[in-house]
Amino acid sequence: MQPLQSTQDSIKKINQNPLIFFLMLIAIIAAFAVFFNFVTGGDFLERTNVTVIISHIVWPTFVAWGICFLFACGYTDLSIGAIIVLGSFATCIFGNWYGYPGVMLGGLIVGTLLTFLNFNVFAFTEIPSWIAGISLAMIYEAVAVFLKVGKSTADLIYAEIDKSLRILGRLPWSIILLAAGFVAAYIIYNRTTVGLNIRAIGGNKEVAKALGINIVKTLLWVGLISGIFIGIASIVQESVAGRTTVRTGLTSIYVVFQPLAIVLLAQILQKRINIIIAVPICAVLIYAVFNLLTILGVPSGTLQEAFLGAFLILFGIIGQRGYKGVVK
Amino acid sequence: MSENILEIKGLNKYFGTTHANKNIDFSVKKGEIKGLIGENGSGKSTLLSQIAGLYPRDSGRMLLNGREYDPQSPIDANNCGISMVMQELGVVGTLPAGVNVFLGRTSQFTRNGIVNLKALNKAAAEQFAKWDLPKVPLNELTDGMMIETRKIIELARALSVDPQLLLLDEITQSLSMNNRNRLYDLLKRLKAMGRSVIVITHDVEELIQITDSITVLRDGAVVGEVLSAKTSPDEIKRMMVGREISGEYYRADMKPDYRNKVVLSVKNLLVENEIEDVSFDVHEGEILGLCGLSDSGIHAVGKAIYGLTRRSGGTVHLVAKGLDIKNSTMALKNNMAYVPKDRDNEALMINASILDNLSMPSLSELQGKFGYIAPRKTKRLASDMTKKLSIKCTDINQTVNTLSGGNKQKVNLGRWLAKDLKLLILDCPTRGVDVGVKAYIYSLMKELKKEGIAIILISDELPEVLGMADRLIVMKGGRVAGIIRRDEDFTEHSVIGVMI
Repeated sequence: MQPLQSTQDSIKKINQNPLIFFLMLIAIIAAFAVFFNFVTGGDFLERTNVTVIISHIVWPTFVAWGICFLFACGYTDLSIGAIIVLGSFATCIFGNWYGYPGVMLGGLIVGTLLTFLNFNVFAFTEIPSWIAGISLAMIYEAVAVFLKVGKSTADLIYAEIDKSLRILGRLPWSIILLAAGFVAAYIIYNRTTVGLNIRAIGGNKEVAKALGINIVKTLLWVGLISGIFIGIASIVQESVAGRTTVRTGLTSIYVVFQPLAIVLLAQILQKRINIIIAVPICAVLIYAVFNLLTILGVPSGTLQEAFLGAFLILFGIIGQRGYKGVVK
Repeated sequence: MSENILEIKGLNKYFGTTHANKNIDFSVKKGEIKGLIGENGSGKSTLLSQIAGLYPRDSGRMLLNGREYDPQSPIDANNCGISMVMQELGVVGTLPAGVNVFLGRTSQFTRNGIVNLKALNKAAAEQFAKWDLPKVPLNELTDGMMIETRKIIELARALSVDPQLLLLDEITQSLSMNNRNRLYDLLKRLKAMGRSVIVITHDVEELIQITDSITVLRDGAVVGEVLSAKTSPDEIKRMMVGREISGEYYRADMKPDYRNKVVLSVKNLLVENEIEDVSFDVHEGEILGLCGLSDSGIHAVGKAIYGLTRRSGGTVHLVAKGLDIKNSTMALKNNMAYVPKDRDNEALMINASILDNLSMPSLSELQGKFGYIAPRKTKRLASDMTKKLSIKCTDINQTVNTLSGGNKQKVNLGRWLAKDLKLLILDCPTRGVDVGVKAYIYSLMKELKKEGIAIILISDELPEVLGMADRLIVMKGGRVAGIIRRDEDFTEHSVIGVMI
């Protein structure tokens, strides 16, 4: 019997083995770390600094996993930043009122409910998700401000959480949460019917429909799953930062810039390793670069982002080598 | 072979004002291989789609094994023992091949909410083995797989339902000769098992050869039913179009007929793991055929020449211009054109209008001062070409994805004909088109040949290359296995001898 070939057969076997590629990637990151350490005169691999990096990758990683599910079904939601802000705000307010139950339930319920609500809007109104997302972001930002000060204002509003409630922002709890999130995301994305259906919708909606996959029901599942990850991200974000900054004018979109960079980088790698695995690796990589730039005194908000952009392109070129086609 | 498995009475289907199926009466017996044929847009796929639960019918009845049959979805149809391989549907590129086989039915491998991929892949592999389908890498994403491989996965998906009635909508033209033969064997096996099959194909000879009876549709209505053993291709064609169509649409001459001037010279072309050491010249007014089995690399040659895939070695020299073609931009600028096999994914802007599709390759010729493109120029080009090619459409602003397969192919070809071409590469140009469009494409090729345009015709259909080519390159395992001239032993037998 003559086997059929895929065009991917042209790639060398060694490059096709995900385990070898994963190990190569880890080796490259280790080499980068050693180089960064050398450049910063030993500050980069200093214990406190490593702890800072690990603590800071947890919430963006959760957001990035949430975005993976969104992108997998072909949707874009620009209100995620606003949901995180509202979720963090709820974590702070309910945490200060009810202690840890308030911390856990505040962020989780707000994050899950709002993302689920967004997908109801996407699924039933069929408005392009990026347009609906912007509108929802404006509403959520205004709601957050209104809840805090009782009136609408464009000023910066801060909400601070009690120090004793920030355990999920510290090691080892944050890393345990990250590990649990990884297992859950990996299984849902790769090993559940709903995960496969989500990817089917993003891959070819017509085929999915023809094969009896319920599109609306699956989209609502995306809202629920992404919402849980985004809700957890809000809790961790509040626990790490200790306070939430609330402001109107679509400023919340900036919140998802780094998680988005993580997902884009992970998409470049996903031809070689599973995207759920790629996300935390890319998170470490991106935060390591930011951390290095901070240690070197590069100003944030301008040059750091420019360096990140250049780094993404460079990494994209390396990740894409040997493969046909481009990452969309 | 007496009892009907499916009976359709007075079925009607409308799409807006279009009456796609008109009072269809149709039946399939148990153990029967039934052919369904008609021109593009005659309502064949619409009829099958209703049987498969993709569209609801507007009126009429369907009986399955004598009982009312009203599928609400494809899954519903599957549960009743009916499955379908659709003409253009495809697979989900972001999922592995194994998952694609059971997509929509993965819950059977789910325990405590987790899909057992190992069991799923094992079951998929069993389906491939059970139906003697060629092996496919089940863990790999289908994105990037060849169109033939993707079709085989779709076939495995349809067979995994263990159907009592299998619906095949123009699958054979996506398959190379060896896998087409395997499909014919599969049909015989299904028949022997008492299963029924409805086959749509535009290859009249093939349809007569593989079916027991044939129903002909025209303009949405059944115009006749014949026994395959007692009909002829000419009778079928006449029923299809409502007038006499000559049986010979290929070339009648048996000598190579082209000028001495070389247009394109390919030397030692190498694409890693696909083709190796491929060399040939194409002359003015020559139709150079390329054929081979599924792993022969013929389709890779077209892409490599046009600069769509990265070459690892060799040169493609456009003699008339004295330059080496490095990429597709260069090829386009220098009067070369490429019509890919997979027209929906690789050729057409499927969600754009006929106007946009027809004018896109000619924009540089249409632009005026400061790069301004006057809308009247693009409209004129699109209108002229639509008229010239008799593209059936409401107007030039209609989106291409709403056209029938044959009309899509006319748009696909037509956009290149507006240019001053030196070389045209055609990869399976008659895939999924009816006899009328097929005849038109062949006459177009003869016209272009007369004008001195060099044509590289890549095809999975041996009669097509034998009927049209001046010389035929037979490929095997990515290499040129032989070159046969039209005045030599130009027969299927000799070509197959070189292929195998």
